[in-house]
Amino acid sequence: MATFELYRRSTIGMCLTETLDEMVSNGTLSPELAIQVLVQFDKSMTEALENQVKSKVTIKGHLHTYRFCDNVWTFILKDATFKNDEIQEAVNRVKIVACDSKLLSQ
Amino acid sequence: MAGSNLSVSRVYIDVIDDVIAKVRDEFINYGAGEAVLSELQSLWEMKMMHIGAITANIDRSSAASRHPPSAHLNPLHDLNVPYQGPTEEYETPTAEMLFPPTPLQTPIHTPLPGIDPPMYNIPTGPSDYAPSPLSDVRNGVVDIKASRPNPYMQPPSPWMPTRPLGVDVNVAYVEGREDANREPPHHPATQDFFTSSTGKRKRDEYPSRLPPGTYMPQQDGSSDVIIEFEMGNSSSQVDQQGNESSSIPQLDGIDDEYDNLFQYPSVPAEDYNNVVQTPAEHELRAPTPAAVGTPRQTNNVSGDDEEPPLNEDDDDDDDLDDLEQGEEEPTTQHLVLAQFDKVTRTKNRWKCTLKDGIMHLNNRDILFNKAMGEFDF
Repeated sequence: MATFELYRRSTIGMCLTETLDEMVSNGTLSPELAIQVLVQFDKSMTEALENQVKSKVTIKGHLHTYRFCDNVWTFILKDATFKNDEIQEAVNRVKIVACDSKLLSQ
Repeated sequence: MAGSNLSVSRVYIDVIDDVIAKVRDEFINYGAGEAVLSELQSLWEMKMMHIGAITANIDRSSAASRHPPSAHLNPLHDLNVPYQGPTEEYETPTAEMLFPPTPLQTPIHTPLPGIDPPMYNIPTGPSDYAPSPLSDVRNGVVDIKASRPNPYMQPPSPWMPTRPLGVDVNVAYVEGREDANREPPHHPATQDFFTSSTGKRKRDEYPSRLPPGTYMPQQDGSSDVIIEFEMGNSSSQVDQQGNESSSIPQLDGIDDEYDNLFQYPSVPAEDYNNVVQTPAEHELRAPTPAAVGTPRQTNNVSGDDEEPPLNEDDDDDDDLDDLEQGEEEPTTQHLVLAQFDKVTRTKNRWKCTLKDGIMHLNNRDILFNKAMGEFDF
């Protein structure tokens, strides 16, 4: 089953990748196992986001760059604000990477 | 709500638990064992805590109840409680190794003086590691799953800052290791392998072509040897690198004056003209030259004698924007990772609906289930 590897770029994904890197490089873990861990992470993360997270966010900003390639949208926004019920964040530059949600549910 | 940080932490911890639970079978089938799994989990959590992505005092019992298949996942007691001492299993030194009281440093491998390093594998000796000291130590207690995660979740409070990860994990790791150096110091080569990006490794799939336990000596740059040309006498490549039978005197390669400037002690003399048979210990290189028609190495040695540098790494960052990473630190780039349901545009007005996303903004993580975006181009 294919997974979105996109979440590996998040904080939690990078921590996992680093941990796996260390363990593989010192021989604790085999690369094949490490890959399986990453794949499982992809699934678990996707599932958790679907089921455990309930918040809704609005995003506004100036679109500086857009790109659609391999079914992945990449936007670069300038002076963007992110709002939800609790918080509001403003950033001067943000990159948004989005995969097609339909690809997973095929 | 008490603050989104707590709920984000909870989700992360759930994910970690879920992943660990689901790969447990794989680990066991593969023969890696419970110990390695625990190490993975604790290292992962430690990094997360260090970075501030999760908080320490999360109650994990609810996480355990949410995942019935992993019912053997023992609900942990409060992480803030100091480590109670070994019950039946993991030796205390191991836990202390992981959370040394002299902290604020990422690498858990930094041993305390007086702690017997072989207890916890200072990960320098790849070949020695897998069969032994650690697994010997822990094998006896692998069966006991009770409070398995516990020993690793006891960070002493001074160690618990929420400061951002300002230190490169890998660099500090190297330093710590050199203190307790029990292995020949060949590791920097391996270290370089995954810190300095070979190409775009940082975000790409997990390459690791290196079988565990392989010593990887430097074979490029000054240590460059060979490339065996099986085909024809004079390929163009050979000509570029200097053909002995050519009438043009060779001024580069072994004949340049570069070597006189720098003396490399243990480097075999570079000689591109003599075809040397290398023992193929380095899988990256060995089969390629003969098999493929263009025996160019993956490293940048070939062809840059006379040609200008290729500047391959100029665009390492994904974006080709000019006005970006120069201004901001690359590490705090604000990022949103999500799935899109719909993206539309009317004139210069873009609208999109996203779902299931992780946002990293202003150094904090925010998760969302749905997002609506409106952008002006």
